[in-house]
Amino acid sequence: MWEWVWEGIRSGIVTTAYPAREETASGVSPGFPTDLPRTFAAAGEASVAASCCPTEALLSEDQQVVLREPRCIHCYRCLRQTETPLAWQWQGNYEWAVSPHPRVELAKKFGRSFRRSLHLRILDAGACGACLSEIEQLNKPYYNMHRLGFFVTPTPRDADVLVVAGPMTEHMRQPLLSAYEAMPTPKAVLALGACAIFGGVFGTSFASMGGVASLIPVDILVPGCPPPPLAILHALLALIGRVEPAACELNSSSPGGERGD
Amino acid sequence: MIDPKRLFFLFLILCGAGVVLAALLPRRANRVVLAWIGSLSSLTILWVGGAVLLSGQAWQVDLWNIWSLGPMVLKMDRLSALFVFIAGLVFLPVSIFSASYMNLPKYVKRYGFKSFGIYYHLLLAAIVLLLVAGDMLSFLLAWEAMSIFSYLLVNYEHEKEDTTKAGYLMLSLGEAGTIAVVLAFFLLARTATGLDFPALRAAAAGMGQASAWAIFLLSFFGFGVKAGLVPTNIWLPLAHPAAPSNVSAILSGVILNLGLYGIVRFNADLLPVKDIGAGAIVLIVGSISALVGILYAVIRNDMKEMLAHSSIENIGIITAGLGAGFIFRIAGLPALAGIAFIAAFYHLLNHSLYKALLFLGAGAVDYSAGERNMDRLGGLIRVMPWTSLFFLVGALSIAALPPFNGFVSEWLTLQTMLRSVELSSMGIKIIFALCAAALALTAALAVTCFVKAFAMSFLGLARSPKASKAVEVNRSMQAPMAILALCCLLFGILPTYVIPVLDNTIATFTHEHMVDELVPPFFTAPQGNARFPQEFVSEFHDLGAQVGRTFLPGQGLVVMHRGTEHNPVVYAMSTSYTFVVLILLMGGSLILFRVLTRSRKVDRGPVWAGGVRQLLPKMTYTATGFSNPVRVIFEAVFRPVIFDEMRETVAEHFLIAVKSQRQEVYILERTMFSPLARLGRWLAALLGKIHSGSVNLYAAYILISLGIVLIIQRLM
Ligand code: SF4
Ligand code: SF4
Repeated sequence: MWEWVWEGIRSGIVTTAYPAREETASGVSPGFPTDLPRTFAAAGEASVAASCCPTEALLSEDQQVVLREPRCIHCYRCLRQTETPLAWQWQGNYEWAVSPHPRVELAKKFGRSFRRSLHLRILDAGACGACLSEIEQLNKPYYNMHRLGFFVTPTPRDADVLVVAGPMTEHMRQPLLSAYEAMPTPKAVLALGACAIFGGVFGTSFASMGGVASLIPVDILVPGCPPPPLAILHALLALIGRVEPAACELNSSSPGGERGD
Repeated sequence: MIDPKRLFFLFLILCGAGVVLAALLPRRANRVVLAWIGSLSSLTILWVGGAVLLSGQAWQVDLWNIWSLGPMVLKMDRLSALFVFIAGLVFLPVSIFSASYMNLPKYVKRYGFKSFGIYYHLLLAAIVLLLVAGDMLSFLLAWEAMSIFSYLLVNYEHEKEDTTKAGYLMLSLGEAGTIAVVLAFFLLARTATGLDFPALRAAAAGMGQASAWAIFLLSFFGFGVKAGLVPTNIWLPLAHPAAPSNVSAILSGVILNLGLYGIVRFNADLLPVKDIGAGAIVLIVGSISALVGILYAVIRNDMKEMLAHSSIENIGIITAGLGAGFIFRIAGLPALAGIAFIAAFYHLLNHSLYKALLFLGAGAVDYSAGERNMDRLGGLIRVMPWTSLFFLVGALSIAALPPFNGFVSEWLTLQTMLRSVELSSMGIKIIFALCAAALALTAALAVTCFVKAFAMSFLGLARSPKASKAVEVNRSMQAPMAILALCCLLFGILPTYVIPVLDNTIATFTHEHMVDELVPPFFTAPQGNARFPQEFVSEFHDLGAQVGRTFLPGQGLVVMHRGTEHNPVVYAMSTSYTFVVLILLMGGSLILFRVLTRSRKVDRGPVWAGGVRQLLPKMTYTATGFSNPVRVIFEAVFRPVIFDEMRETVAEHFLIAVKSQRQEVYILERTMFSPLARLGRWLAALLGKIHSGSVNLYAAYILISLGIVLIIQRLM
């Protein structure tokens, strides 16, 4: 046991400085493609280039290829493809949580009293497990979300935010609805990962409803598959109005939109 | 003012009338008559007992003078009066309750009501006569009558095999106890001039060490059987589930007290224990009973069996208090001894009240749900709100939570245990420390036990169709519970009025008044007296100890033990003030809450049940589940027997069904009675060998034994 104490003293404080300072360590984010849109000579070329994306994050509009960030699963296929090179950059940012509401509205929803005490109920709606393990990281010393006033609670009766991961399977529909109903107002819903936003790699099927937004209103979305812990932290901070949510056209990503529409 | 003596004869006449009417009246009117006559006679003895308790004027009636045995005497002193009063307090509500309760189809159809009415009144008379008996002969006669009538009442459902078995065990163990008591009386009366108590008391004064010990052991064992102390209480957890609930209430609320009455009468009054070892035995037996009782109470799921074990626990606590009193008295600390006796008697009074209440509650549940197993109850608070409320009061009292009565007496008992620091002997101090630890554990487990009892029966979902069909019992069953619940509250918030009465009671055998030790005269001596000087009183005045002085009677509302100069207050509390503060706090916070949330909208959502599609009753927590941690922790005590039954597929590769059953045999049955029974059977088998059935052989036996006797005679 003494070794733990010694080890702790020796290694000092390792917790990230985010949100006070930007986190610069390598590998904290899988990142997204950047430098878009890209213009091609012909419309056909553009649609060939866009077709490489497995989740239809790339969309061809005439000669242009645009990126719908919430659908991207950082698979690098667009970067690797050589026939119609897209020739863009990769960015390692992580502050990418988006919201259908502007910051002032978010801040008003919870008010000042929740700024340093927000309780989360995590709901696994058919997630593959990676999203959940990222949430787990938040509880660990490196990210340590308690220092920011975020806590996980087992019962929705005490929860302010319902964190949903997974493509919303049919089986979890009833539990999700009753958990949402059991939460006291003010309450918010956080859609975690590509799955919860639109169905992700699973899409919509007889067993999956493709996103939480088809059942309950969503207040904030965290793109990524899985989203890194810092992105989740950013989402939570944005939810109570402590930081600005990322700018992004949500309508083009159409939460709950179907795959292959 | 009516003469208590006359009233007492009125009581006997009432009981007689009850017996005659029960025998003559048709079935329908019988129950009503029982209720009326039973309550009237209880009221009479309440009056008689109360008058003697308050006035302190003992009365005596000389009955017949029996040749060579001396006079038969009835005498009621304060000690008897207290027990008579408690008996009245229990019998009054039980009589009212019985009228409706005995209406249960399972009783009406198979068993006549006549016998019940007759035995009930006879039992009441026998109990009161036992308590006022002033000589050995009437005491033993009444004792026997009480044993037999209580057996007959417990054995009311005599067509059930379990019931007859339990009844028979109760009777046989009780008779074994009686034999011990008779022997003790004989030893005591050997040198006495008569059989009345004063003569016995005089004879006891010159008793030798050895006979004193013999008398102590015999009487403690004999009365201990009735009181339900270890190691002879195995009849109690069997008799209670077998008896009708109203009889159970009497059994726990009155009859167990009679055993304690015997112990007190014998070992504190007639022949006060002189040896510190005897006191230690009482203390240890009491503490072990308390612990064993509560351990089994926690794990039992039958409501009445649970209550039976909890009775053992409470009797154990009372006995431990008595033991502490004996030890302090012998060690020359009369003040502490007085407090210990007061604590024990207070607990006895309280136990009678709340245990009767809980048994009536269990009876009401049994009456309307037809089920006593807590695993299959649940949700009754919605259909039986009043019964639930009264049961809750009983549960809070027995779990010793303020402001109810159990708290005061259990707190006093534990405080008494802590005063053992004033003793000089190291060994006794260690014993005290261990016993106090056992009692503290007991108190904690009691809370677990009654959280379970209330929550699993009255809260949650109904776990069986029977429980979901229950309806509230009628008024004549609610009223008795209400009376007892009210008493529980009153005796809890007015300890400073009860303690002086108890103090007078114990003065009948300690001959010293200790009331100032526990209830300082903050009301009557506001300027202070020698023991409570001016500064002391004014200090407490600032704390509010004199609030109410102008309009309340009595000594004060604070229970406090004053020590030496060096340690002015050893312990102090006041449930009366606590109660007022509690009401103000709760009311105040309710009002505050209402005011603060006036403009808010209230949102009511469905129950959160973990998101299951449908919350089925069988998914909810059961009594077995709730008490399982205790079962696991005390595995070494319970030593469960586990039966596993498995069914496999033909080739035995897969299990299709696994059934595991767990049984906890009562520790005393396992460790004492089963081996004894085996020994008895073995001896009988051995002796059976010499019984061949041939007459010639028996003639030879007679001849041989005659020869042996003659030889012995010759040699001596
Ligand atoms: S990284 Fe993969 S998912 Fe994201 S845009 Fe490129 S191809 Fe599509
Ligand atoms: S978003 Fe990606 S990581 Fe998260 S549950 Fe869906 S597939 Fe798994």
